[in-house]
Order: sequence, then C-alpha cells, then structure tokens
Amino acid sequence: MGQPPVISTAGLTKHYGTVHALTDLTVDVGEGVTGLVGANGAGKSTLIKILLGLLEPTGGHARVLGHDIEHESQEIRRLVGYMPEHDCLPPDVSASDFVVHMARMSGLGASAARERAADVLRHVGLDEERYRPMGGYSTGMKQRAKLAQALAHDPRLVFLDEPTNGLDPAARTDMLRLVERIGSDFGIAVLVTSHLLGELEQVSDHVIVLDGGHLLRSSATGDFLQQTGRLLVEVVGTESERDRLGEALAQRGLTCRPRGAMVAIDPPPPELAEGGAVHDLIRDVAADLGLGLMRLQPDRRHLEDVFLEGGTRV
Amino acid sequence: MSELSPHAGRPGVIHDLGYRHFDGVREGTPAIARTLFTTGLRHAYGLGRSGKSKVMPFVLLAMSLLPATIVVGVVVLTGLGELPLSYADYTNRTQLLVSLFAASQAPVLFSRDLRHRSIVLYLARPLPAPVLALVRWSSLTVAVFLFTAIPTVVLFAGAMLSGLDKSDQTTAALKAVALQVLLAMLVAGVSGLISSVSLRRGFAVVGSVMALIVLTGIVTVLQNIAYYEGDSESVSIGVGLLSPWSLVNGLANAWDAGVDTPVPVDGAWVPAYAIVAVLLVAACLLGLVARFRKVGSR
Repeated sequence: MGQPPVISTAGLTKHYGTVHALTDLTVDVGEGVTGLVGANGAGKSTLIKILLGLLEPTGGHARVLGHDIEHESQEIRRLVGYMPEHDCLPPDVSASDFVVHMARMSGLGASAARERAADVLRHVGLDEERYRPMGGYSTGMKQRAKLAQALAHDPRLVFLDEPTNGLDPAARTDMLRLVERIGSDFGIAVLVTSHLLGELEQVSDHVIVLDGGHLLRSSATGDFLQQTGRLLVEVVGTESERDRLGEALAQRGLTCRPRGAMVAIDPPPPELAEGGAVHDLIRDVAADLGLGLMRLQPDRRHLEDVFLEGGTRV
Repeated sequence: MSELSPHAGRPGVIHDLGYRHFDGVREGTPAIARTLFTTGLRHAYGLGRSGKSKVMPFVLLAMSLLPATIVVGVVVLTGLGELPLSYADYTNRTQLLVSLFAASQAPVLFSRDLRHRSIVLYLARPLPAPVLALVRWSSLTVAVFLFTAIPTVVLFAGAMLSGLDKSDQTTAALKAVALQVLLAMLVAGVSGLISSVSLRRGFAVVGSVMALIVLTGIVTVLQNIAYYEGDSESVSIGVGLLSPWSLVNGLANAWDAGVDTPVPVDGAWVPAYAIVAVLLVAACLLGLVARFRKVGSR
C-alpha cells in the first residue's frame, strides 16, 4: 500500500486536427504486467508516445514513475524502455553491437553496456545470430532484438508496443512468456499493447481497454474473467450424447443449452447451488445415462465480452 | 584425498544467474552526448563499420593528401622560397574531394537513423531531439574539418622542414584553419540537412553533390560572366552569397588568406558574407532539429 502508481494520467487528450486519438483518458497503471487493448487506431501507440514525451498532449496531465511528462520527460526516458511497433533496426549492424550502443545511449558506461547487452540478449533468446547483421533476421529475431534494446539499460518500466506482431503461433507464445517473465521475474513494470484480447488474458495482471481514444474499462484481469456462475459439462460421445445429458438435466430443473460440444448450465436454483449439490446431480445423471463425464468446469467470461458490453453501451 | 562438493566435480555446468539488475553509475546527458559524438565521428570515416565503408572516406582522404605531399616534396627538394599555393587555396582547390566526402558520409550520420526509424529509439532515451541533431552535426563538422585540416598540417610541416619563415607560415596556416572550421560547419549543415530529408542514400548523395558541387560551379561561372561580360562587380560579388564554397572563398579573399575571387570582396560585402554564412549554418541546424522532431513523433 501507499506505493504511487507507475503511470497515472488525468484527462489526457490528444487531437490531430479533427482526429481524436485520445479523449479525456484518466487511468492508473501499477506494477506487474498491464495490458493495453484496443483495435488499431484506438490510441494505444499515441498514449505510449505521449508518456515518453515524443508527442505533446493537447490537454491533460500524466506522471510516469512519479515524474511529470511535461517537465521531466528526460528523467522519465532514463527510467523506461520502449519497444516500438514498427521496424526500427538498422540492417547493417549486429544485434550485439546495436544493443551495446543503445545501452550507452541510455547512459551506461562502455563495459557495463557490453555486459548488459550480453545478458539481455541471452534472456530474449538471441544466441549465435546476435553477431550477424540484423538485416538478415526473421521477424521473430527482430522482435527479440527490439525487446533486448528496450531492456538494455535495466529500466523500471517498459512500453512494449505490439510485441507479438507478425509472429507465428510458437514465437507468439515464446514472446508472451517472455513478457510475463519481465513483469514477474525481472521485476520490471510492463505496459504491453495488443489488439488480440486473448493474448493479454494470458499474461497481464491488469487490463486497460481503449476504444476510439476513450477508456472503455480498466481493471484487474481476474475481474474481466470473473466466473459467471454457469457450468460447462462435456461428455464422451457426439452431439446426441450431449443432447441426452442436456434433456436429462433439464428434467431435473436445470436450464441447459448446448455450446459447442458442451452443455452450458445456467446458474442453478439456490437449493442446488449450495455445497456443490449441482455437481453431484450432474455426476449422478451422467452415471444413470451411462455417459462418460469428460469435463465439468465453471464458465468464465472472456475479454471479448467487455467489448460486446461496451458496444451496447455506446 | 580431498572431498569435493557434489557440484564442484561437474565441469561445464551453466549457471542461470537469472535476471540481474544494473545498479552501477548512469552517465548524465553530457557524457551520453560525448559518446554519440565520438561514435558519429568514427562512423564518418567508416571506423566501427563494415570494411567496405572505410574505402570511400580513406580513398578521398588519400587523394586530397597526395598533392600536398607532392608539393612538400618539391618545396623541400628544390628549396623554393614559398609554397606554390596558400593553405586556404589548397582547401579551395581540393573542394571537389571535400564536397564528395561530405556528400558520401552525411547519409551515414543523418539518413540511416531516420530511414530505418531507429531515431525513435534514440528519442525514447535521455538525449532530447535538438541535442541529438546538434551532436550529429558536430560529428560531421569535425569529420569534414579533419578532412581539410590534415593536408594543411602536412603542408605546414613541409614548409617548416624547408625552412620557410615561421611566423608568416603560422599566420597563414591558422587563417586557413579558421576558414576550414567555418567551411566544415556550412558543408556539414547543408549535406546533413539534405540527407535528413532525402532518406534514400543515392538521392541524398546526389542532392548534396548538386548543392555543394554543381551549385558552386554555377556560382563561379556566373561570377565570372558578371565580371568579365557584364562589367558588374557588385553582381559578381553578390552571386557569391549563394553557395557555401563561394562564401568561404569570399571571406578568405577579404581576409587576405591567399584565395583569388573574380572580384575582391571588401567593404560592406565582408560583413554581408559573414552574416549569410552564419545564417546558413543556423538555418540548417533549425531544419535538422525540426526534421528529427517530426520523424521521432511519427
């Protein structure tokens, strides 16, 4: 308690002529991994650039690590790392040389920069290829090199703009695991953007949802995924087995509907909800019908639902 | 028999130290700027870059040194009473090489970061955009200055070896050096600004060649036409305000540094030349800062 937020904005606004990139954004970001979600053009990159002092806001205030973005942006840039969305690597330099140079540009001495660069490149998983010119790198390797330069000076906070962009599923998983480690093992606060909600669900402690420059919602990831009270049941077999179970449960007074290969059961009436009575009932029904119970789990909400709700609100 | 701990007996074990934080000293802005300056200066001569990027700057440097060594050889061997051309005029005569050096190396310092957008990574670090632009310009200015000053040093050494008057030679050499500083600032500003706008290396080189070599050629021709055909001295001097080389040569002529211009630059023209030169440098710097800011915010 009592720890100031890593980032706090108050009424942050950015207009490009008639385009409203950010409108009256007031939000706090804490330690750990924070996901910044929104469709393309929702204002995610604009927010990061304002926080870095690369763009001037049209209105409002913000503080990063206790420093005001208007007057102390140089101090902020000492303490944060930034991985941009777009390509930003010169092709004729090796990752090793480049990360050393970038560490020096953040104020590390020559030998400290070399040591840090080697460390960080190992952490992001660039091995022998670190000595090759970056022009020949695959997208996955480029993303790793971009991440390495953002971590080179041991920042207190990193902004990762779409780190999984252009990666194949395996590389995407690797990158997300790395992002998670940065937040937990490395102890560096992370603000990571993505337009894919499912990704951020996996790695972030907190999620901020932007839509058209407006704040749609900001809360702990757990709140987004809170349990709905519904249950999901899956039995061995095909749709006919599923329907047999559903009909039998409906006769016992539960409201059921099919969802994919599973039966979704609405929150049970109070007399069944207590002490897991509903679980026993489902088990017995399945046993009576001679069906193999494969899965019985609480139904969670998805981040997508926030957008659906937001959509109806607008 | 010594008892080994279970781990010490296994060679080649890789210990994962985990993530280590950096708690050493972090340098301030001046030290970072110095690092960037040195790196930029080295890169302008291809040092710390690939082998083939060293070829162009060093071939040009060798070409601009060759006449100086020949002059020195002739003066020392024949015992001439003076150098066949002044220090400042030597720089003027090798202007094609100096311009080519600036045109070919400016893209290294100004186009690369902007073209590959690594400028954003610099701007997300402590150095502010104006400092970044100024440091880049300083690197190129010093690189161009060294390019012109090294032959001057060789010539001066030759003059001393052959026993020419020390105080005369020193005065002339120092004048040349002062003019070279101004020239380097102008040439680095013009070629840097052009390179920061036209990001394709080829276009940047051609643009700088147009501004430094072709424009100077045109100015010289116009100066001569105005003087010999039009009999108009003031037009001839006035046209000289239009190119970096003619500005420096005009000032060299006014300062009696041994450079001939079609019409001697004197009177009110001298401050005019000086003011235009300073304004040109300032304009290039402002342009560079604006350019860095703009690209960085995209």
